[in-house]
Amino acid sequence: MSKVSTKKLDEPDGLEQGRREFLKHVCTSSVAALVAAPAAAGAIAETDNPDADVTVAEFFQGHFVLMSDEEKQKAIARLEKRYSAQYRKKTTVSNVEAPDGVLFGYALDISKCIGCRRCVHACVKENNQSRHDPEVQWIQVMKMPKGNIAFTAENLEKGYPEKSEFGDYGVQVGGNAYKTAGLSTEDAQNYYNDDLVPDRDFFYMPVQCQQCEKPPCVKACPVRATFRDHAGVVLIDYNWCIGCRMCQLACPYHARRFNWGEPNLPAEEMNPKTHYFGNRPRMRGVMEKCTFCVQRTREGRDPACLEACPVGARKFGNLLDPDSDVRRVLATKRVFRFKEEFGTYPKFFYYIG
Amino acid sequence: MIKEENSRRSFFKRAAAALGVVAAAAGTKNLIAASASSAESSSAKYATDVAMQEKAVKENQLVVMTDDEKKQRLDDLLNFHRQEIA
Repeated sequence: MSKVSTKKLDEPDGLEQGRREFLKHVCTSSVAALVAAPAAAGAIAETDNPDADVTVAEFFQGHFVLMSDEEKQKAIARLEKRYSAQYRKKTTVSNVEAPDGVLFGYALDISKCIGCRRCVHACVKENNQSRHDPEVQWIQVMKMPKGNIAFTAENLEKGYPEKSEFGDYGVQVGGNAYKTAGLSTEDAQNYYNDDLVPDRDFFYMPVQCQQCEKPPCVKACPVRATFRDHAGVVLIDYNWCIGCRMCQLACPYHARRFNWGEPNLPAEEMNPKTHYFGNRPRMRGVMEKCTFCVQRTREGRDPACLEACPVGARKFGNLLDPDSDVRRVLATKRVFRFKEEFGTYPKFFYYIG
Repeated sequence: MIKEENSRRSFFKRAAAALGVVAAAAGTKNLIAASASSAESSSAKYATDVAMQEKAVKENQLVVMTDDEKKQRLDDLLNFHRQEIA
């Protein structure tokens, strides 16, 4: 009896001792790891190893937006060094802020687009996208039969509650009451491979990130790696992205692309003028998408797709400026909206001139 | 006399153990990533993503905005933007 009670009394002491030892070991290990990690990071960052895709220092860096200026400079210097070694050319990573007093918007004339896909290829080239297996494209051009258009100028303003001789009952009447005035995308096809474009019986509709003013992708990101800058452009911190693809699921337009594999970007094709949130080379397992060519537009230039368009179907500008191209389009052209926008307020407009 | 548990050797032992754990975690992550990428090629997965976009566009429709709608849309965008930067 007494033997049992002694054992019971001794056990907690033994456990206490064991727990204390365990906690001591855990604490020592944690401290050792904390000391070792920055040292290792520094050591690796110092090397010119072009094979080091993501250095330890990059792995441990915080969200770029929340970094101090000094940390940002260090992060950029690290990236420039790595890219320059990896692609064997002097590479710059810009950190130019979005200009103040600007809200970027885009407009595309469906009646002008000839479906040549020059914008797609210019985008791939400018933004350092993977070139093969697969070639990642941020713009998809859809081909749609022209017969799908359904409106006439005289009926355009109809289809809304109108006053009648019997009074205003809020009843929808008129030309558009029974069918939508617009463009059906039902028969749209992405993988057309025509010898000659344009096909006179078809419209071409390039689709890319709609740069929503209320972006659901931003709300869905669990780590705030994707965010809207103060010029209205939705961007991604590739180093902060955890690759969960929640944003891709949240986007109603499926405009985001995920790097399923290691991107294949040949050194000779790499564009060395990059921006941290834009066209710098990405790594496997992160999301990417159109940024309105942030590396260009933040410096007052036009996006690459607009420059490449041979027929001037693309317009880009500041929605806050009444004299901008986009505002003129909104004021004077027949502008479309998606039937189902899910309250996202896209800043990418399709129109017919 | 230095106790074994406080000695430099035991510290290095623990540090090495911690590094071992980190290395094992990294190895496991790479292993999982490699097996995931081998299961289906990147190109096929990318094609699936693009097909999703095509489907999303097909299921939607472009509707012409009236002048009032255009004005309303622009006002909304500018208001949201002002709220965002405020």
